Amino acid sequence: MTEPQPPENQTARLWVSWLLVAALLGYGVTQTVITAVKLFTH
Amino acid sequence: MPLLSALDHEHTVAPAGYSRWLIPPAALSVHLCIGQAYATSVYKNSLIAHFDASQTAIGVIFSIAIVMLGLSAAVGGTWVEANGPRKAMFVSASFWASGFLVGAVGIATKQLWLVYLGYGFLGGIGLGIGYISPVSTLIKWFPDRPGLATGLAIMGFGGGAMVASPLSRQLLELYDSGYDSANASSVASGGALVGLFVTLGIGYFVIMMFGVVNVRVPPPGWRPAGFDPAAVAARPLVTNGHVTAANAIRTRSFWLLWVVLFCNVTAGIGILEQASPMIQDFFRDGTTSTVTVAAAGGFVGLLSLFNMAGRFAWSSTSDLIGRRPIYLLYLGVGMVLYALLASVGHLATALFVLLAGVILSFYGGGFATVPAYLRDLFGTLQVGAIHGRLLTAWSAAGIAGPLIVNGFLDAQGKPGTLTAEAYRPALFTMVGVLAIGFVANLLIRPVPDHLHEPPAGRPATSPPQTVAAEGSPAR
Repeated sequence: MTEPQPPENQTARLWVSWLLVAALLGYGVTQTVITAVKLFTH
Repeated sequence: MPLLSALDHEHTVAPAGYSRWLIPPAALSVHLCIGQAYATSVYKNSLIAHFDASQTAIGVIFSIAIVMLGLSAAVGGTWVEANGPRKAMFVSASFWASGFLVGAVGIATKQLWLVYLGYGFLGGIGLGIGYISPVSTLIKWFPDRPGLATGLAIMGFGGGAMVASPLSRQLLELYDSGYDSANASSVASGGALVGLFVTLGIGYFVIMMFGVVNVRVPPPGWRPAGFDPAAVAARPLVTNGHVTAANAIRTRSFWLLWVVLFCNVTAGIGILEQASPMIQDFFRDGTTSTVTVAAAGGFVGLLSLFNMAGRFAWSSTSDLIGRRPIYLLYLGVGMVLYALLASVGHLATALFVLLAGVILSFYGGGFATVPAYLRDLFGTLQVGAIHGRLLTAWSAAGIAGPLIVNGFLDAQGKPGTLTAEAYRPALFTMVGVLAIGFVANLLIRPVPDHLHEPPAGRPATSPPQTVAAEGSPAR
């Protein structure tokens, strides 16, 4: 665990953090929509 | 030890210029993981087959976890406030991950009690601490938009199930080639279940560590650029004062809000718990339904989407229109929607899905908006601890909602023979439940000044920077 980094190093951290949650949420939403569409159109 | 001391509250104060937009993803990385609790039905049948146990015996695992969620949030709230979000998130990740690993040992050795102890008891503590850990911090970083901030985090709890459900199915198919998740009668082997639990335990621990590393509390004196606390406090029911958790539960407003949350959750859970059979029964023609079991599964997934979207959208809207009006919307429009569902919901599948979806968005919105409502009423001093105590309403609603629906349905006939008409008594009862919540919301009043903490001489447990972070300790 490191001490807080200076603000100039934050951009990468912001990108990684938001990409991680976007990937997780995107995977969940996409899988749910695919399943719902498949099931309702069967 | 340096590693453990880095978790302490005093070592989590953000340096000047630290971006507050790092805090929502930190909170989401915790909530997206613990939201898995709503996806346990994916492997329920496999556990039943593996342990040769009853539905009830396996269902107890989930029940223990939810009871522990409520208890640990209520009891641990003050500890979370005193020790800060980083330590709380680390403790949550440790309990959550060890819950999966102990559960995996239980599955491998066919000792069901170990699964109760692991996923139920230990995992449940991780759930409760994890659920409340980022809430207080988010409110302090976003005093100008607390609804948006907590909506983002608590949206993750809804989204966690949407991630865990397909992921668990795919992992079980990976670990057991004979398992077919599309076949309702197919069950995964014990080995696959062990692999799933170990993978989820390790994976969730790693993801939650992103939250531990990134979370910070705002430094003394910090406030967002251009933010004027006086402007926020000028709105109805919003205070700049601070109330301790011990005092908060002595106020009438706390218990009225408890009733509001209880009613909103009871109504929503009534639909959530019964969603799959409900849509089939509404469109039953004789003994067969025009909605297949598979389509009903897709409907449940859609409800999760509405639930998740409502958490973010409605909670953010509450920053604009105020907390009491948004709950009047959840409860008042909810009453109309329940009545429509009962009376005309059977006319078209699309209408049924739309009505149920909006109702579920209100259910999610109710969860996500309540921390901001607490902040408005009681200030930021111990909002996390107060939130933890309020979540006992969730536990109570988790018992009441299904009891109401199942009680009425049991009196109407046997599963597989019910029609839309059989649901009407339960749905109209929910209209009444929402009406009680509606009235309770109208009765909420500002907390009396004598219950506010004085600006100086805060209790020793309160984080000192809380006052300055909020910008104004004055009432």
